[in-house]
Amino acid sequence: MRGSDLLGAPVVSRSGAALGRVLDVRLVQDGPLLGAFAAMRVEGLVVGHRRTSARLGYDRVEAHGPWLVATVVRWLARDNRYLPWEQASLEGHRVVSGLDELLRVPFIT
Amino acid sequence: MTGRVRDLALHLLDRQVVDTEGKAVGNVDDVELVVPEDGSPPYVVAILTGPQALARRLGGLLGQWLGFWSHALSRPDSSEPGRIPMELVTDIDTQITVARTRQELGVHRNEDRARQYLILRIPGARHARQ
Amino acid sequence: MKGLLKVFLGVLTAIGGFVDIGDLVANAVVGARFGLSLAWVLVAGVVGICLFADMSGRVAAVTGRGTFDLVRERLGPRAGLANLVASTFVTFLTLAAEIGGVALAFELATSVSYLLFVPLVAFLVWFVIWRMPFEKMEQAFGLAGLCLLAFAVALWQLGPDWGELFRQASHPSVPDGEGHPTYWFYAISLFGAAMTPYEVFFFSSGAVEEGWTRKDLKTERLNVYVGFPLGGVLSLAIAATSALVLLPQGIEVDHLDQVALPTVLALGKIGLAVLIVGFVAATFGAALETALSTGYSLAQYLGWQWGKRTAPKDAARFHAVVLVAVVLGAMLVLTTLDPVKVTEYSLVFSAIALPLTYFPILVVANDPEYMAESANGRVVNALATGYLVLLTVVALAAIPLMIATKAGQ
Repeated sequence: MRGSDLLGAPVVSRSGAALGRVLDVRLVQDGPLLGAFAAMRVEGLVVGHRRTSARLGYDRVEAHGPWLVATVVRWLARDNRYLPWEQASLEGHRVVSGLDELLRVPFIT
Repeated sequence: MTGRVRDLALHLLDRQVVDTEGKAVGNVDDVELVVPEDGSPPYVVAILTGPQALARRLGGLLGQWLGFWSHALSRPDSSEPGRIPMELVTDIDTQITVARTRQELGVHRNEDRARQYLILRIPGARHARQ
Repeated sequence: MKGLLKVFLGVLTAIGGFVDIGDLVANAVVGARFGLSLAWVLVAGVVGICLFADMSGRVAAVTGRGTFDLVRERLGPRAGLANLVASTFVTFLTLAAEIGGVALAFELATSVSYLLFVPLVAFLVWFVIWRMPFEKMEQAFGLAGLCLLAFAVALWQLGPDWGELFRQASHPSVPDGEGHPTYWFYAISLFGAAMTPYEVFFFSSGAVEEGWTRKDLKTERLNVYVGFPLGGVLSLAIAATSALVLLPQGIEVDHLDQVALPTVLALGKIGLAVLIVGFVAATFGAALETALSTGYSLAQYLGWQWGKRTAPKDAARFHAVVLVAVVLGAMLVLTTLDPVKVTEYSLVFSAIALPLTYFPILVVANDPEYMAESANGRVVNALATGYLVLLTVVALAAIPLMIATKAGQ
């Protein structure tokens, strides 16, 4: 599987309601050892409707950047949500969510 | 133990990959993940670089067009994108460092071609002028 | 003296942006038609390019990354590609025009048709990029480009009523016989020329070529605040001389010799000789800047090794792109397309690439992951945000204005 198979994939609930698309993939570096480092393991998916909203990450990292830009981008990203990987399953090129209500996007600290 | 958290598009994709000598290897155009049989979460096993990988990211007609041309141009070699196993990665920061030189990685078919057929035929190609 | 030699990256970048062949003529046109009523645009342009060039240079010094690297990283492959196509289009057209421009300066000196010089000029541009060390290159062409200061000397010799000039500049109004759309078309052209994207591609990549680090941030700032205001002063001097001499006589400018006319009047043959050296250096410098920028932006978007600090064989695709761009540029000029007209149109397209270039710079210059303690301060951010809004307005207005005024005719 490639990263690009996940990014942009439509996310639906079990009842088939559209929840958005995969905008980003949360990775945690605690997978199996590859060389000197632990592998980056998929932890969850950032899901939303506006591709541009996730690009700058202002919805997930501490505020930095010009106030106006950060405000506008946060506003665009206001509907972005999070789907933990254990609640997600791949069916074809769609992601089916075990949750009907997605979670808030956890900040990266 | 909890590992460092990164977001794929935000912290990994489109970043520059450099070799042990600090020379550019390519961009992170895509990543390859394995999905373990036992149902545990997928993890990143390799960085993919080159036009074949970029074509998929671009998508649409443009992506198809780039895919077609990079495929046509890469014959008779393989048309798979350059692949850098994560085992070789020594640092992931604003750029990604790998523990091999560009030649050893062998992900540079087009660069090699440009060098062989054009650049090396011009006098003075071998020397940097500082 | 040694410290002074370090500012030529900024000087050459600014010369390529402010007084390349298109701007040499455009500044004289503006002076001859609008007096100094558009001087405020130049001031706004200088402030804007200083802000963003400083950010791009700072990012380059701290992270070792050229601007287009960041464009791709922050905008993603698609929007990054849109910017690549738009800005490469502008940069390439400018390159073609500059090759023609150097040839035109030779024509001015020898009265031999410029077309005969085009292949020679193209070869020389490529050869300098192939062989000349980066620092020698910027010093040689930056220094020789300073001959254009003859415009400023000429202005002083013409002995104008300084109070009147200042009044014109500080109370802008549209002159009789000129329409508002034409006035604003030229305003956008001048602003776009001052902030044209290849300046930051070249400046940031040049900073990497010179191996600047965090320790060189002072040099970086000096380059910005000497280079670009100097470019602005040269532009103003051209506009002012032609406002003094050509405007009252109703002489229309469409060729390089009319640009030189006021200086010849004030300083005689010596003035012309110095100007020709300046013309050649400035247009040649701009050709180098645009040829290299084409290679820099494409290589950075695709993650190739780039630049003159390694042997050409280690940056083979970069050098191949530069070579192809120079050859195609020369071929374009040989079709007898008017180089001056080419840049007039390309200027307006650059307005479209502007927001897509400066937005990612602003974002990264604020990112602590990249910049640590060298991130932007509040004042810079407030100003830069204002310019970003302005650039977007300019981008939106550019094409309708160009169509409505038939490119300012």
